[in-house]
Amino acid sequence: MISAPKEGQVSHESVSGEGPTDAEITTARARVAAKHKHPVNQLFHDEATLGERVADKASAGIGSWWFLGIQSALIVVWVFVNTVEFFTHKWDLYPFILLNLMFSIQAAFTGPVLLLSGNRQAQKDRLRLEHTAEVSETAEKATLQILEEIERNTEATLKVLEHLKKRRDSKSPTGAST
Amino acid sequence: MAQPDAPALVHRLRQRHRNPNADHKHPVNKAHYDDAPLGARIADKLAAGMGSWPFIIIQSGLLLIWVAINFYGLFIKRWDPYPFILLNLLLSLQATYAGPIVLLAGNRQSQKDRITLEHAADEADKGEEHITRILIEIKKNTDLTLQILRELEAEPA
Repeated sequence: MISAPKEGQVSHESVSGEGPTDAEITTARARVAAKHKHPVNQLFHDEATLGERVADKASAGIGSWWFLGIQSALIVVWVFVNTVEFFTHKWDLYPFILLNLMFSIQAAFTGPVLLLSGNRQAQKDRLRLEHTAEVSETAEKATLQILEEIERNTEATLKVLEHLKKRRDSKSPTGAST
Repeated sequence: MAQPDAPALVHRLRQRHRNPNADHKHPVNKAHYDDAPLGARIADKLAAGMGSWPFIIIQSGLLLIWVAINFYGLFIKRWDPYPFILLNLLLSLQATYAGPIVLLAGNRQSQKDRITLEHAADEADKGEEHITRILIEIKKNTDLTLQILRELEAEPA
């Protein structure tokens, strides 16, 4: 399961102690469109199916200031044209029953898209936890290995000390302690 | 130091990502999906059903058919002529149920978030215990090394 580490794969970007530079931020933005570094993002975004991509686009589109702004403008125009005397062609008089239908249609589609986006997010959460489980298993093994290695080191050091004491005792037959 | 074999890891993750019935490795996923009670399972199914492309496409189709028949009077007698007040009622009914279902799904998710944090706290405790053990061991080692140094210094040159 665990192969020898490949040193060349370790990126140098994350090593720098300071915050991300402008160049790194640009790279991060480009990655959103291209290839992600984290396996969860790779599987979730780069390998998304057509339906998943469209779902992401749809929720990004409806949940944007552009959508809100354009919708508000359309409502204002609709109400304005259908109330003000100046306009002769009116298609939906007070109390705007057709506009009400339009709102219902919008809500009828927003609900499912909201759930679609929520499901996507839940899917990602699930994937992320699975990734965490995989990684933390490896990390725990590594920590225990470190501990074991230090314990071995302590044993070796202890042996060196004993050896030194023995040598000193043999040199001075009086056997004085420290 | 041992690092996860990247391609194998990604492969395993992909298997579980694409198979919703796969066994989960993370304890939180196990508790949340594999051990979910009936109500939670139904909530998940509802959210998955309503938040899917088939639902949206079928709803669009029905809407178009309804409007086409009642606008142009195709095939049968119009039962809901312009401005489609009955259609409006049905769409409002749909929205009335969509809202609670969205909240149901959101509550499931926030419940999961809660367990995730509790689990993270447990893991952090475990990690701290490991680090403390390592630290104690290194201190022991340093003490021994210092003793060796003193021995060497006391040795007659």
